[in-house]
Amino acid sequence: MAAAAKRSARQEPPQIVKGLRRTGRALAVPARSVLLAFVVGAVIVAVTGGDPFKAYQALACGGFGLFCFGGEPSVLQLANTLVVVTPLIMAGIAVALPFRAGMFNIGAEGQLIMGAIAATTVGIHFAGWPAFVLLPFVLLAGALGGAVWGGIVGVLKAVTGAHEVVTTIMLNFVAQWFLRFLIIGGPLQLPGGSSKSSPIGTSAQLATLVPHNNQLFLGLPGAVYRAHTGLFVALAAAAVFAFLLWRTSLGYEIRAVGQSQRAARYGGISVRKTLVTSMLIAGAFAGLAGAVQIAGVDHNLTDQYFTDTTGFDAIAVALLGLNSAVGIILSAILFGALHAGGSVMQSDAGVSGNLVYVLQALILFSIAANFLRGFKLRLPSPGRVPETPAADAMASAVAQEADIELAGDDKDTA
Amino acid sequence: MTDQVNPERLAVEMRGIVKIFPGVVANDHVDLIVRQGEIHALVGENGAGKSTLMNILYGLIHADAGEILIEGKPAPMQGPRDAIRQGIGMVHQHFMLIPVFTVGENVVLGSEPVRPGGFYDYARARTAIAALTRQYGLALDPDARVEDLPVGLQQRVEIVKVLYRGARILILDEPTGVLTPQESLELFRVLRGLVQRGKTIIFISHKLKEVLEISDRITVMRRGKVVGHLITKDTDEQEIARLMVGRDVLLRVEKTPAKPGPIALRVENLYANSDQGVPALRGVSFELRQGEILGIAGVEGNGQSELVEALAGTRRSSGGRVFLADHEVSNLTAATIRLAGVSHIPEDRRGAGLVLNYSVADNLILGRQRTPIFAWDGLVLRLKAIFNWAQRLIKEFDIRTPSSTTPARTLSGGNQQKIIVAREMATQPRVLLAAQPTRGVDIGAIEFIHRRLIAERDGGAAILLVSAELDEVRSLSDRIAVMYEGRIVSIEPPDAPEERLGLLMTGGGSGDRRKAG
Repeated sequence: MAAAAKRSARQEPPQIVKGLRRTGRALAVPARSVLLAFVVGAVIVAVTGGDPFKAYQALACGGFGLFCFGGEPSVLQLANTLVVVTPLIMAGIAVALPFRAGMFNIGAEGQLIMGAIAATTVGIHFAGWPAFVLLPFVLLAGALGGAVWGGIVGVLKAVTGAHEVVTTIMLNFVAQWFLRFLIIGGPLQLPGGSSKSSPIGTSAQLATLVPHNNQLFLGLPGAVYRAHTGLFVALAAAAVFAFLLWRTSLGYEIRAVGQSQRAARYGGISVRKTLVTSMLIAGAFAGLAGAVQIAGVDHNLTDQYFTDTTGFDAIAVALLGLNSAVGIILSAILFGALHAGGSVMQSDAGVSGNLVYVLQALILFSIAANFLRGFKLRLPSPGRVPETPAADAMASAVAQEADIELAGDDKDTA
Repeated sequence: MTDQVNPERLAVEMRGIVKIFPGVVANDHVDLIVRQGEIHALVGENGAGKSTLMNILYGLIHADAGEILIEGKPAPMQGPRDAIRQGIGMVHQHFMLIPVFTVGENVVLGSEPVRPGGFYDYARARTAIAALTRQYGLALDPDARVEDLPVGLQQRVEIVKVLYRGARILILDEPTGVLTPQESLELFRVLRGLVQRGKTIIFISHKLKEVLEISDRITVMRRGKVVGHLITKDTDEQEIARLMVGRDVLLRVEKTPAKPGPIALRVENLYANSDQGVPALRGVSFELRQGEILGIAGVEGNGQSELVEALAGTRRSSGGRVFLADHEVSNLTAATIRLAGVSHIPEDRRGAGLVLNYSVADNLILGRQRTPIFAWDGLVLRLKAIFNWAQRLIKEFDIRTPSSTTPARTLSGGNQQKIIVAREMATQPRVLLAAQPTRGVDIGAIEFIHRRLIAERDGGAAILLVSAELDEVRSLSDRIAVMYEGRIVSIEPPDAPEERLGLLMTGGGSGDRRKAG
């Protein structure tokens, strides 16, 4: 749609106004959801004896480095947010792309873990290689690991019709327990009994944005700033995602399958192949997120991946971002800021950091409520379940009602 | 138990009805006057405001201005409940029946007779329905399951349902759209019977012949306004069509005799299953030559849809062979068959032919999104080429759209169909499979599509035309193949009498069963 709008904007100037209006309308739903969440969140804080203004001020400080009245280092807060934002963008794409094809990928977490495992394995094994070879190799391995994990889902869906929601959830467990096996008594465990792997080689690591040493940067040693160049990998991923979706034949087909499998089939598009392809690509984006997390921040697999929720937060990111590249970046920043700001809120305002999860849930909830109408149309039934005549009758009844609204539109173009 | 009829009394008076949807006036001071005991036809093109008006009358939507009087008394319609209480019943174009319920259960649904203790009173429901069907001469078995009934009888169930709820004024929305010629005649007999027994009928249709045959008076709408109140016996098809469209319309298709060339498509003993897995094609054979139109006539559901899909590659055949010229294409993919020069106008425009949320331009390349003209190396879309292609086709096929980036969903049915027709014809196909090419399309667009089909034929294309409109098949085809229960029972000349075709379509008659050729 973005490309289309741009195209028309160049041709017919008045379309710009229309395009802006359309963008405004598209933004209205997410904006309302966020606003609603913050209002309800404020009420909850107030009712439980906290000061909502102070809480949000601390949250803004912790998330964006804004309104830091307590002398907190703003840039450090911002850097911490970027650390969270980076994998969220890529995992958000991993949810959004299958969504465009009409599938609900709950498995970004499992795909991310598999990516992290593959990246770590490569990063340890080939630690002696020079960075310009090893680093791309590590990221590629991560993408492949995730792609395999997503591809399994796609193949199962295409061949047996197994619903992706079930298979992705199950594969999340498999990935988590596989990781547990690897680093607790398994082949990747760091000798010495701790539940983590050995670190990857230094040439497999992504550089940090601020030189990682003891030189002072804005009054603090450079080593405390963890934000890393993986951010650029994430932004590039978003650009690739947008290009793939709007400028390639494959993107055209993915969107067609998501909109109407019948029309896609009519157009000679193989629905099964498209579903498998989009899950493969989605898995690759999630795996890349895992690889970047390992190469940029963690440098080894640890037990914190057992409780990691990036792949689930990514669902919120994709939904709030309306499954578009720019939207995903914006909502990843929002959710990243919330997560990073939670601890500051807890210490500065004395409000439990769990409020962040309440806010996230509220945002998701109100989006889901808004989504309900489109949901039926967006998510086609899995596989090729024949429509029953009764469902047909219902559908046409609904369509008829809808025609009442459409009658208006029909006329101004007739 | 005939209702009191006074022809001077008015059953329905809608005065000065205004309904404005965002950006468009759907009803602009519309007056509709229906006398008691008459069949009143409401005609107009798609988007003329007929449905809006009837939905206002039935309480589904609220008018912004105007008043409604039922049998002389003001009747504000807050919802369908009010309409039903006022004695208005609506028979929808798409039946609102539960297929696995019996006739009786469907009829009483929503107002079931109840025995003490909250149990469904089966006996009372039966007697009530039996009484109704006897009274109006509507033969129906209350214990038959609806899914086992032919479409004509299902419609009758709908009619009995509204009668059971005490309707005195019946609205029938395009009631003949799904019926065979015989079933239509039967429906007209039923409608006349209802009118004799004091009912009033509002009959929505775009088939002018029918309107002339069945109605007493006609109200014509165009672009939200009433443009004519006519008395049926004083008017003719030409006048109604002119009022509907706003200009003179060519109702007859003008064409010269076909000049058939070499064989373009040969089908040998083709078998295929329906979606439900039962055989839908049971040995179809025919030949189609370049420069001719072969029409397929038949009651819907006799294998026409499956035939077209099997030929287009969107349905697997289970036996038999298909040749394009001399090359066998049996069970190749839809993409391959399309590349081989077969175009396909699908019967389900909104479901299969278009991705409704896609722009006009994107819809104009559906099926060709990987061809070199529209994508570099079949990978990256050539937006400029797509844009130019769209501009050309929009102009050439007169697609009325604000721009090529407008979503197809927002266009009228006729313009949506023009997108498909443009896309499928613009590549100069060798074979064109046209399934219901003018279904639900207004007269102006029908005229246009008919002219394009003839032009394609004259340009050498081999056209397979499937249509539920017998008139359309007869006026366009050079030969007519009649399908019944998955077979071609006969191939007839285009001037075969309608009665004979009707008989063949329902399995009667002496199809001479000669092989197509």
